[in-house]
Amino acid sequence: MDNIAGTKSGLTWTVHISVFLLVALWLFPTVGLFVSSFRTADQIAASGWWSSLSAQERQLPAIRVEGDEDARDGMFVIEGRLFEAEDVEVSAWGTSSREPNAYDPDATADLGDGEALTVTADGSYVLTGPDSFEGQRLPRIFSTATTPPEFTFENYRNVLFDPSNREGMAKAFFNTLTVTIPATIIPILVAAFAAYALAWMDFPGRALLIAAVVALLVVPLQLALIPLLKFHNTIGIGKGYLGVWLAHTGFGLPLAIYLLRNYMVGLPRDIIENARVDGASDFQIFVKIILPLSFPALASFAIFQFLWTWNDLLVALVFLIDATGETTVMTKQIVELLGTRGGNWEILATSAFVSIAVPLLVFFAMQKYLVRGLLAGSVK
Amino acid sequence: MKHVLFAGVAVAALTAGLANAGSHLPFNPGEGDFNWESYEAYAAATDLGGEQVTVFGPWLGPDQVVIESVLAYFGEASGADVKYVGSDGFEQQIVIDAEAGSAPNVAVFPQPGLAADMARRGFLTPLAEGTAAWMAENYAAGQSWVDLGSYTGPDGSQSFYAFPYKADVKSLVWYIPENFEDAGYEVPQTMEELKALSDQIVADGDTPWCIGLGSGGATGWPATDWVEDMMLRTQPPEVYDQWVTNEIPFTDERVVAAIEDFGAFARNDDYVAGGAATAASTDFRDSPKGLFSSPPQCYMHRQASFIPAFFPEGTEVGANGDVDFFYFPSYEGKDLGSPVLGAGTLFAITSDSPGAHALIDFLQTEIAHEVFMAQQAGGFLTPHTGVNTDLYVDDTRKALGEILLNATTFRFDGSDLMPGGVGAGSFWTGMVDYVGGKDAAAVAAEIQSSWDALK
Repeated sequence: MDNIAGTKSGLTWTVHISVFLLVALWLFPTVGLFVSSFRTADQIAASGWWSSLSAQERQLPAIRVEGDEDARDGMFVIEGRLFEAEDVEVSAWGTSSREPNAYDPDATADLGDGEALTVTADGSYVLTGPDSFEGQRLPRIFSTATTPPEFTFENYRNVLFDPSNREGMAKAFFNTLTVTIPATIIPILVAAFAAYALAWMDFPGRALLIAAVVALLVVPLQLALIPLLKFHNTIGIGKGYLGVWLAHTGFGLPLAIYLLRNYMVGLPRDIIENARVDGASDFQIFVKIILPLSFPALASFAIFQFLWTWNDLLVALVFLIDATGETTVMTKQIVELLGTRGGNWEILATSAFVSIAVPLLVFFAMQKYLVRGLLAGSVK
Repeated sequence: MKHVLFAGVAVAALTAGLANAGSHLPFNPGEGDFNWESYEAYAAATDLGGEQVTVFGPWLGPDQVVIESVLAYFGEASGADVKYVGSDGFEQQIVIDAEAGSAPNVAVFPQPGLAADMARRGFLTPLAEGTAAWMAENYAAGQSWVDLGSYTGPDGSQSFYAFPYKADVKSLVWYIPENFEDAGYEVPQTMEELKALSDQIVADGDTPWCIGLGSGGATGWPATDWVEDMMLRTQPPEVYDQWVTNEIPFTDERVVAAIEDFGAFARNDDYVAGGAATAASTDFRDSPKGLFSSPPQCYMHRQASFIPAFFPEGTEVGANGDVDFFYFPSYEGKDLGSPVLGAGTLFAITSDSPGAHALIDFLQTEIAHEVFMAQQAGGFLTPHTGVNTDLYVDDTRKALGEILLNATTFRFDGSDLMPGGVGAGSFWTGMVDYVGGKDAAAVAAEIQSSWDALK
């Protein structure tokens, strides 16, 4: 703030520019996904999202003449428009796939048997013929046209409000919360106690325990899926919320303990020793001194754990979603929307933005703790 | 204004609810040309009294809505509380659930190879006695369907484990009749004519084929269908059977010749839209869209009966519609008849219960096939000979069903029958390598060595 213009060092500018470039690099795919979420499947297949932002001249796929026929002056006439959008400009058109640009706007094409077709620059067409078109296959119109950007809310409507999806989506949302909140709180509670003990209580084998926790960080959770599920089935938990909470807790604990322990070790020794001298028990020290001071670390781990459980599909599939399908979660619901062969791109883009909403909220609400927590234990 | 809006929303919500309730059973029992006698007879004979039957399958989205409506008839008739869950990771999920002992009552297998594997490990319950005999009698080419669902159990004995229900036809070429008319092309009746037509299109300055092999982790599978089709068109069906069971090795010259026959299409830069090199990177779901672009990127696309789901919105399929199909023809010079390649899904019991067996019984009623036939989503085809084929949702579907009923030689997708490591592994990757320019004999040798490693 108190910098005067022109006194900024070159280094500051370099930092700013590289931060800007990094942010742009990170945001680029997200923007693409966001734009795609407002486009139809056919649009996504036909052109890239970047070309949808401005008016484009393209050779468009064939559009079949349709409409009710009128009898006028002994001729049968079908009138209609090629495009719903208003400001489309047709620059050439044709009726054969071999010559899609055979005619200029307002020109009349002779289709044989006295039938004629005219397409104007704004995309209106008139088909006339001496006989009724009833039961006949109507001609196709190929056109090269400049179309304005076109976006649709259809995908969002489909994901959020379609009667067949809405119920499932709402249920999945609350199921996900049911999984996520306890699966975030339980490991924090357990880890905070453990981290205090590992940081400030002296007992034999403490270093070994810490080493074991660090070692557990590298164990991939996939390794434990089937044995753990078998164990749950044996002790009677089966598939359900309790199982998924326990699984998330177990898989999250090594990181939680490690992170919190490193942070707590860095707290000033004087305060804790003073408290000991004043006769505080370990529990009192933990509750009255350590917990309030460790808040940034707790919050940052909470964000991590929340995001990870919110976006999780694998653990939920293995430990939660049973054959009745009552306990489906958001991620699973989104995968289902993709269809049997997974081709519904537009739904994927849209669902990504629907499901991103809650994590974003959590992130912005707690972001100030995130950086402090990230640096937990690394700097003093 | 606000009130109007709220009222509108309320009305919309109410009617939506009504529509939902109506779609529970899409056809009222007793109405239409359905075989309701089979439904009534089944309902009278079965009473599960609220027993829960869980079904796990690969269908999602609109397909899921349809299979749920079919299962709703089962629930209505038997009194069972039937639940369906779909997953795109069915193949992995069912193995995890079976291993851990939390499997659903009935699982719907898209691949016989996986079902056979699970039967061998004792995760499947053999179907009731008489089911196989019923199928041999009531399905067209019945014995081949029975063979598809018969596996070796954990004790080494052969039983009928999986009930094929819902089939796909694979030997189809999709094209746009009007584009053919514009260019003056005729639908080819023989493989010789098909190759001549492809050359003709190239000579006219266009590209005949759209080929896309991309499919995420399953990239390469469309090429295996091509090779299987070529195998059936160059060799008698007995050789095909020996090939899928590895009685003759992958390196056999007849197999290599079939791969090269596929290469004559897919490795020809003039034949493939975008050049042969793009085939492996083009997604199979995007590939048919080249037919519809202007100017057309290609004139023909070989793919199974499910592909219309990936045509642009509003595309009408049929002889008078926007797009149609013809049978992927056989060589006139080889005299091997008209072989048809197909695939099917199989219902197997993964957690034994009376309700699970009752569901398999339900699949033997005509009504279980007819209510699925009469719905658009799912692309249902059935080889059941006792159903009213007029109930197919449109003429195209009916024509596809006829192919299934009239096939002189019907063979299943060979890659589905091979062990998973080959049919869903080295065969896929090998075909990608082959299209990428690797020698056919070298690719075949690699696939064979991966098969040997599994023995």
